[in-house]
Amino acid sequence: MTTVATPVPTPVRTPVKPFYFNTAAHLLRITRQKANTLSEFLEALRECPDGSIFQHSFRTLEEHHFIREGFSNDFAHWAVSACNEPSLAEGLASVDVREFTSVAELRARFVEIVENFLHRSPSAATRLAKETFYFCSSETVVIPTSFVARSLREFAEGLRGVSVHCIHHHFIEARLRLRLMSNDFSQWLYEDLGFTDAARQLNRIDIYTLTLEDVRNQIIRIVERTLI
Amino acid sequence: MEPVEQQVRSDSLASGRSSEDSATIAPDSPVRTERRRKSRAWETPPAPVPPPRLDDYKAIVGAAEIDELKFLARELKGKKVKMVNSTAVGGGVAEMLNQLVPLLRELEVQTNWDVITGGNDFFEVTKAFHNALQGSDFNLTQHARDIFLMHNEQNRNRLEFSEDFIVIHDPQPAALIRARKESPQRWIWRCHIDLSSPNPDVWGFLRPFIEQYDAAIFSSQSFARQLPIPQYLFYPCIDPLSEKNKDIDDTFVQHVCDEFGIDRSRPIVTQVSRFDRAKDPVGVVQAFKQARKYVDAQLVLAGGGASDDPEGAAVLKEVKEAVGEDKDIIILDLPPWCALEINALQRASTIIVQKSIREGFGLTVTEALWKGKPTIAGAVGGIPNQIIHKLTGALVHSVDGCAYQIRYLLTHPDFATQLGQNGHEHVKENFLMSTNVRRWLLLLRILLAGGAK
Repeated sequence: MTTVATPVPTPVRTPVKPFYFNTAAHLLRITRQKANTLSEFLEALRECPDGSIFQHSFRTLEEHHFIREGFSNDFAHWAVSACNEPSLAEGLASVDVREFTSVAELRARFVEIVENFLHRSPSAATRLAKETFYFCSSETVVIPTSFVARSLREFAEGLRGVSVHCIHHHFIEARLRLRLMSNDFSQWLYEDLGFTDAARQLNRIDIYTLTLEDVRNQIIRIVERTLI
Repeated sequence: MEPVEQQVRSDSLASGRSSEDSATIAPDSPVRTERRRKSRAWETPPAPVPPPRLDDYKAIVGAAEIDELKFLARELKGKKVKMVNSTAVGGGVAEMLNQLVPLLRELEVQTNWDVITGGNDFFEVTKAFHNALQGSDFNLTQHARDIFLMHNEQNRNRLEFSEDFIVIHDPQPAALIRARKESPQRWIWRCHIDLSSPNPDVWGFLRPFIEQYDAAIFSSQSFARQLPIPQYLFYPCIDPLSEKNKDIDDTFVQHVCDEFGIDRSRPIVTQVSRFDRAKDPVGVVQAFKQARKYVDAQLVLAGGGASDDPEGAAVLKEVKEAVGEDKDIIILDLPPWCALEINALQRASTIIVQKSIREGFGLTVTEALWKGKPTIAGAVGGIPNQIIHKLTGALVHSVDGCAYQIRYLLTHPDFATQLGQNGHEHVKENFLMSTNVRRWLLLLRILLAGGAK
């Protein structure tokens, strides 16, 4: 005889503060830095504006949000496609932006990977790449959307209605703003509604093997499970 | 029904075939340049379609994206923008402005568009400047400088510059910056051409004007120059609602293929481009012939420019010679107003090739990707911005590389389908008119807030 577990109803909770869905629009700026060799690349990595590190890691994920595999950041892509250095590319691709709460830390990690590689393979430093790497940077304008959540149900509706740019803004870019290993959605679920488990589950979503639409759907599923 | 072959040979104009070509192509040559049963291609151009409205894009990019544009535009409500370029019709800039200006107006950004005037002498000089800035040799004389400055000065006196933002497109009106007043007015230079290797004299002459602007915009990172002003990247875009890109019924696609004798039951490899050496149509024929040793396919070379351009006619002749007796290669020389047919040919294709050896941005690649087609293209100009190798398409550097990719994609349809899907999403995210509107709103807001210094 099977026992059917009766779900314990989650009490309807009212958030301390509503969740205002915002979004970020980014404009690409062409910087002075460019690289034709790995040694030039290393120098530019050290000198480029913070906006360039952000653009070629965080932002490029958003720009290529539809790719499920094989794309992590622009640096890794250039290392393999233009420099034919797969081991360097693997190292650069393994950098998970979610582990960083500041661009300075992220830059230091990329610099360290390239330095280590060139230490092991000094002859690669001056080899001419097939294509130039142009460092761009991102200028950001944050704008509101028409979605506001005053309940978990409205939160789920907002998640369905907003653009993927909004998902990226709150779920991925947020850690640079919050300076926390978290995101705006988890923070709201945890701090304003007390849904600790849902907040944790959101932080476990793999943004590198999913498209942003997949990420959106997973977030919605977790929120809906919390609603039951 | 009239045999296709016979009709084509009776119409040397439609075929783009000169009398010289007729002498070199064997009378029973299977190579046909316009093989329709009814030559709609030579009707008069269709009336222009009215510009699209913002809400028309909702079905394509989603309501949230359009709402974001409206939120972005709020702070610009009532601001005035003047666009200035050198031509009202023809060419990509005019085409883009025809769509952009109404969309900005719909967002209540009061946008006007003025066109500079000038005599033949001015446009001869600016044409030479245009080519020189893209690397051609040019002897910059004082006379050429004087003509350029005189016509810019006349336009400066003729036009009013009272708007909040003045956007000058391309080099022709660049010296209008002299009209700049001591005011919070912002001046933007939108460069649509490749400045990566400019003629130093011409660039040295223009550069002092450009440096007076508040910002410059380029179409690719590789097209920009080192300048003391902020430089932004605005990719060129396509309009998904235009004749060339809108969704069309498959019965029309079938109809076009039937007209041109294209067999849709077999793989179709297509290159759409002018008969221009920069597009390497002979290389495409060579690659196709190599690939076909292993796979069955037809090649369609759909282009134009052979009937009104002596070089185009010469290139077409070279292509025909490269094709020889091959019945699976179909050459179509179409007039510019066959956008709907080009759309149909692209949609009928299994693979699209753009094997350019020099390229601007390569909007034919954008069109192919938008239609979800696995695309093989030369790694030149703005193409690498669009094709991320093995993710949104295949980049090639040689005839051999192109041949291999044709074989590979025809024999790995699942991978080819994935490339096509990724390519479509890439265009949706980065290269549509709605994204272009977003970039303009962003730039205006950044400049309005006093940024970009």
